[in-house]
Amino acid sequence: MGGKRHMHDCGLSRSIGYFLEPLIILGLFGKKPLTITLKGITNDSKDPSVDTFRTTTLHMLKRFGVPIGDGLDLKIERRGAPPLGGGEILLQIPIVPNTLSAAHWIDEGMVKKIRGIAFSTKVSPQIVNRVIYAARGIFNSFIPDVHIFSDHRTNAAGGGSPGYGISLVAETTTGCLISADVAVSDRKADEMEEEMDEKPKLTPPEELGEQAASMLLEEIEQGGVVDSTHQGLLFILCALCPPDVSKVRVGKLTPYGIETLRNIRDFLGVTFDIKPDPNSGTVLLKCVGSGIKNLSRKIS
Amino acid sequence: MAKESGGSEQAHKAHRQHKSGASSKKGKKGKNKGGDGSGADQKKNPKAFAFTSSTKAKKLQSRTAEIEQRRLHMPVMDRSIGEPPPFVVVVQGPPQVGKSLLIKCLVKYYTKHNLPEVRGPITLVSGKHRRVQFVECPNDINGMIDAAKIADLALLLIDGSYGFEMSVIYGTFLLFIMVESQKPRETFEFLNIMQVHGFPKVMGVLTHLDGFKDVKKLRKTKQRLKHRFWAEIMHGAKLFYLSGLIHGKYVKREVHNLARFISVIKPTPLTWRMAHPYLLIDRFEDTTPPHRVLTDKKCDRNIILYGYLRGCNMKKGSKVHITGVGDFSLAGMSSLADPCPLPSAAKKKGLRDKEKLFYAPMSGLGDLLYDKDAVYININDHFVQFSKTDGDNDMASTKGKDHDVGQVMVKNLQATKFSIDERLDQSFINIFGRTPPVLALNYNDGENDERQIDIEDQNQGDDQELSEKKRAVVECDTDEDSNDNEEVSEKEAGQARQSCELREKVEIGDGRIRRRAISSNFTDDVEEEEGDESSDDEDERVDNHEQLSDDSYYLEETDKDEDSEDEAVNSSKWKESLIARTLARRGVNLIQLVYGQPVSNQASAVSDSSESEQSDDEDFFKPKGQANKGIDDKSSFDDINAEDCSKFVKLELKDWHARDLIESIRDRFVTGDWSKAAKRGQDANDNGEEGDDEGAYDYIEDLETGEVYNGGVGADSHEEDKTGAGAEAEERRRKKLALRAKFDAEYPFSTFLSDEEEKETENKSHGDKPKEGGFFDKLKEEMELRKQLNMMELNEMDEEIRVEVEGFRTGTYLRLEVHDVPYEMVEYFDPHHPLLVGGIGLGEENVGCMQATVKRHRWHKKVLKTRDPIIVSIGWRRFQTVPIYALEDQNGRHRMLKYTPEHMHCLAMFWGPLAPPKSGVLAVQSLSNNQATFRITATGYVQEFNHATKIMKKIKLVGYPYKIFKKTALIKDMFTSDLEIARFEGAAIRTVSGVRGQVKKAVKANLGNRPKKKGEKVKEGIARCTFEDRILMSDIVFLRAWTQVEIPQFYNPVTTSLQPRDQSWRGMKTTAELRRENNVPIPYNKDSVYKPIKRLPRKFNPLVIPPKLQKELPFKTKPKAPLKIKRPTLDQKRAVIMEPHEKKLLTLVQSLRTLHNEKKRKRELEKEKKRKANEKEKAKTEEVLKKRRREERKERYRREDKEQRRTRRKIEA
Repeated sequence: MGGKRHMHDCGLSRSIGYFLEPLIILGLFGKKPLTITLKGITNDSKDPSVDTFRTTTLHMLKRFGVPIGDGLDLKIERRGAPPLGGGEILLQIPIVPNTLSAAHWIDEGMVKKIRGIAFSTKVSPQIVNRVIYAARGIFNSFIPDVHIFSDHRTNAAGGGSPGYGISLVAETTTGCLISADVAVSDRKADEMEEEMDEKPKLTPPEELGEQAASMLLEEIEQGGVVDSTHQGLLFILCALCPPDVSKVRVGKLTPYGIETLRNIRDFLGVTFDIKPDPNSGTVLLKCVGSGIKNLSRKIS
Repeated sequence: MAKESGGSEQAHKAHRQHKSGASSKKGKKGKNKGGDGSGADQKKNPKAFAFTSSTKAKKLQSRTAEIEQRRLHMPVMDRSIGEPPPFVVVVQGPPQVGKSLLIKCLVKYYTKHNLPEVRGPITLVSGKHRRVQFVECPNDINGMIDAAKIADLALLLIDGSYGFEMSVIYGTFLLFIMVESQKPRETFEFLNIMQVHGFPKVMGVLTHLDGFKDVKKLRKTKQRLKHRFWAEIMHGAKLFYLSGLIHGKYVKREVHNLARFISVIKPTPLTWRMAHPYLLIDRFEDTTPPHRVLTDKKCDRNIILYGYLRGCNMKKGSKVHITGVGDFSLAGMSSLADPCPLPSAAKKKGLRDKEKLFYAPMSGLGDLLYDKDAVYININDHFVQFSKTDGDNDMASTKGKDHDVGQVMVKNLQATKFSIDERLDQSFINIFGRTPPVLALNYNDGENDERQIDIEDQNQGDDQELSEKKRAVVECDTDEDSNDNEEVSEKEAGQARQSCELREKVEIGDGRIRRRAISSNFTDDVEEEEGDESSDDEDERVDNHEQLSDDSYYLEETDKDEDSEDEAVNSSKWKESLIARTLARRGVNLIQLVYGQPVSNQASAVSDSSESEQSDDEDFFKPKGQANKGIDDKSSFDDINAEDCSKFVKLELKDWHARDLIESIRDRFVTGDWSKAAKRGQDANDNGEEGDDEGAYDYIEDLETGEVYNGGVGADSHEEDKTGAGAEAEERRRKKLALRAKFDAEYPFSTFLSDEEEKETENKSHGDKPKEGGFFDKLKEEMELRKQLNMMELNEMDEEIRVEVEGFRTGTYLRLEVHDVPYEMVEYFDPHHPLLVGGIGLGEENVGCMQATVKRHRWHKKVLKTRDPIIVSIGWRRFQTVPIYALEDQNGRHRMLKYTPEHMHCLAMFWGPLAPPKSGVLAVQSLSNNQATFRITATGYVQEFNHATKIMKKIKLVGYPYKIFKKTALIKDMFTSDLEIARFEGAAIRTVSGVRGQVKKAVKANLGNRPKKKGEKVKEGIARCTFEDRILMSDIVFLRAWTQVEIPQFYNPVTTSLQPRDQSWRGMKTTAELRRENNVPIPYNKDSVYKPIKRLPRKFNPLVIPPKLQKELPFKTKPKAPLKIKRPTLDQKRAVIMEPHEKKLLTLVQSLRTLHNEKKRKRELEKEKKRKANEKEKAKTEEVLKKRRREERKERYRREDKEQRRTRRKIEA
């Protein structure tokens, strides 16, 4: 696996975020560095958005010994909101030369700054500002260092359908990134047919901003070195490490995280030692990695 | 004269030293050694050796730096914790060289026991920190391959009277000619096998030296063999000499010395072995139920394998490869007590006699056999006095009066029909009303793990455990004065009692009786396993019941201690343990929530028990604050399969405008209170250490009594502060530990120093040590830190969780249960052949196409042919496969080769179970023993897995002109159809004469491609091509193309363990073998035969310019025919007369030349004579050699024939 100039149309039933998570792991253990163009929906309300992926997920790999910068990149060429999509991203993933390195990642630190991107496609550019304004309103009582960038796309770069959303990232003093994202757009085509009679209600921008901010705060409240969305990926990365002990701290275990833990046990044979830390209401997980090596790499 | 001499002092003659000879030299040498300053004397002028130029200095410096760097190796992380497994010493050598005798002598030296026969691995304790396992390497190539894969040290036994080889030097090549026997072949093959599969430590041992009568000859031989050995391994490799036999044993002193050498050798870390768990099987049992075997002799068997775990940790549920059999998933896996434990670490010198243990079940030694749940004691028949025999009644009647009390008691015990625990079963005591009566249980649950012995046994085992549980119940009820060690003592008591109870069981039918002693620490294991596997309700209920009793037991304790007012050290201790237990239980709970069924039900029935979710004591010990959490998690389980989505969307969001909510997470921001946040972080750092979690479990409410246990809140806060400061200290401590470990690794003897001294040396070493590669040091330090961290984290875990998370540690004695093994394995099991069980890594069970770099072995006489099957050994496996050899062209194309290059690496692509890149590949063509040549055909390593690689081979399409227009020609016979032409449109073509061209299109009928006769079909496959010049009808046109070669998807595991060992394994045959068998000649193609190329000188016709053209040419270019001159010219006519001086010169030269020619002629003649004589001589020796070879061949054939007849007889028998 690997190589350049790959192209894949992710379809319109799920957004690109759904495909990215497994792809990143496959890419790390590939034969050659991967460069792939994915087409489809970039932001929707169900899956993690590509913005979050770019700002948060890629940085997680740093903890496991994948150097960020050379070869690890995600570019959003076009945005696409459901139902018509039309987004396009360029993903670059390097390969690991031999193994990942085990992570000892339990210090969450304190939130020192909040960054974010609010986007809109094929709607009034004013909407972005309204979203940002609302989100900032909530953060004002916590921290002054808040920057939310706006990204307004039109024409081809804006994809096929109108929509807007926001992705927020909180960075802590120890470099952990905690994210939350929301997006709104029209319903999918098939869903529309069912409810033709009533027009679907969309969340107004102000409400959306507040909602995103609240979600981020809730993630912060939960604690852990990653947010709830990234638990699964974190566990998989831990399990793919060499047979050293990895120790990570997460907030409350999510159903997806639990399902991932089970899958890891079934497929990789790695069992986690899970202990709650009642002081902070978080969960500490320890595991001995499965010792997977990049077998497909060619040795010279 | 005499007087004179008497008066004055007698003048002694001065000592005259020898000025020459051996003794004078000796003296000088001694002096030089003695005087330190003499070195300076030698160098009279030190300036002469100083650097004179800066470039030279720089060169020298860079050279030393380079040597230094070359010495360094990438450090390998050693992840093993705890006692290392025994050190495997493989003793290898040709037959009749004294392998078994050496092992016997070594065993005698270590244990003072005489070993009658060497069968299978022999484990023994060789020192306070060291165990050794001796394995004799069998003499067939399969055995050698397996032995090389497990050896930590190989002792190569060499017959001194024979040596390695008879090497005859032809030109520059060292050829191997084996005269008389094939003795040295095995040694060299073994060395090569080891080189491929990671080179362990090697030591040579020279035997049969007593055959030499001449001392000088002996010395010479030793010297020669030593140098040959060095050439093969490395300069300075250790070669040991065993000078001879005394009373049929090697000399004691020499064995002692050898043992000391063995004891200091450290195993080399080998990448493959560090990454894979493996066991050398030292005990083998067939546990198929006998009735199954009786009904079907060839039914699949269940076997149990025992051995020390090496390499890396092994997790439950991993797959293994049994060499010579195949891949299996383990039906059961458990750790057993070490049968050959290291002595306690008490400070003393040497080993006590009691600790000189050894363990060799395959050799039939060692009277104790430990199984998972039983210990078998072999008692010789004449020692048996108390066992019940058939004639027991008679004995009782005759000797009844002589019995003393003890004997009677023993006899009575034997006479009882029910054991104590069975009686206890019947007298049932119920503590809690709600528990179901255990008597109603059905003991015969088929899920049980006990299958191994037989059904009867199984029942007994069940009874046993049940009864033990029962006893626990009874005891906690009856024991009034319980102290904190109660639980332990109770366990011990149970153990003691059980070990007294010997249950009789006739095991084997061959007249021997095996008694089975059951001890409770093994029963624990059974329960663990059972908990893992059984899904029976009843089992669970038993657990519940018992666990309940357990809990109640602790409650009582709690109450008591609550009453006692003084907070003594004792009580705080138990509190700690209680907290730890509750904590552990919570941990287990969360693990259970995640992983569904209990991870391991173990915690052994008595000490700790797992809560089942349904049981009514679910929140028995649950802090109030956390009560809801589990339920929360549980509720989220239900919709797990709703949609696969990593984003966790909460439906209800809190209103973050609220003041109190804001305050609640205020400290999570840098704008908040840093000290509070820091505390939170620190707790994180050392969670699980002593007191930090106490806060959470401050309030533990006892639901039954309604009492609340309120932990020391005040103390808690203190401790928290302490831990806060302690986090850094902890980090520092860990670093220090790492440094120390690193230091220990470098200077192994520092452990014997006292702590103070050690510290000092440590400091010193870090101050003084010259900086050797900062990067290297840093890497090592990081690894050590990592290891310390791992150890710390793992030690924090509970034992059973640790096993689950980490797997079984290296060095544990494992018992592996494998089901459905072909019956041949049991039938033909031979303890002389080492049986290796290797763990299979992730992705290694897949089958696919591998690309390996291989090189024909220089001692193998032939090159290898593509598609001729070879047997390769990669990783743990051996399999036969069909390779395709290739070379990579400059443009990256893989081009097929028909044969491997003679002295070059090439690529080999083959199909088979995948092995990770960099693992060694060893190729063998035939496994038979009766082959004179070197059997290793090629060596190499795996480069990558590549399913997409294409191997191409060249294909030339040949065509002939059909019709030629100016620069266009129609080409026939190149393609068979128009469709084919369409595929090749635009392809480059070339004629033999070098005219290049291009394929255009298929020719339609309207363009010169008309059928010759009417009604005939238009000929297909005629292409229109254009060329850069007009071609001739006599030209041949080529199209050069490439076609892909398919890699045959064939592999055949070598199953040598499934057949008699003396029979050689037969797989797919090579083409040559098949031809030979079926008398098929090699296909002959006339065109492929090389013929001498005849090139006739080309004759050109003279250039003729037509007269018409000539006329029009200007004079300059007109051909001018020269006039014929009939008479000789003046120049030709004149005579040359020499001067007298010139004449003289000429005659002199002439005479000299004649002389020289004559001399030359004579020399030639001489040479010819010599050559002839030489040839004669050569012919003579050739004759002798030929004769010798013939005799040798004869001898070999005779031997082979004999062997074949023997095997045939055996098979027939």
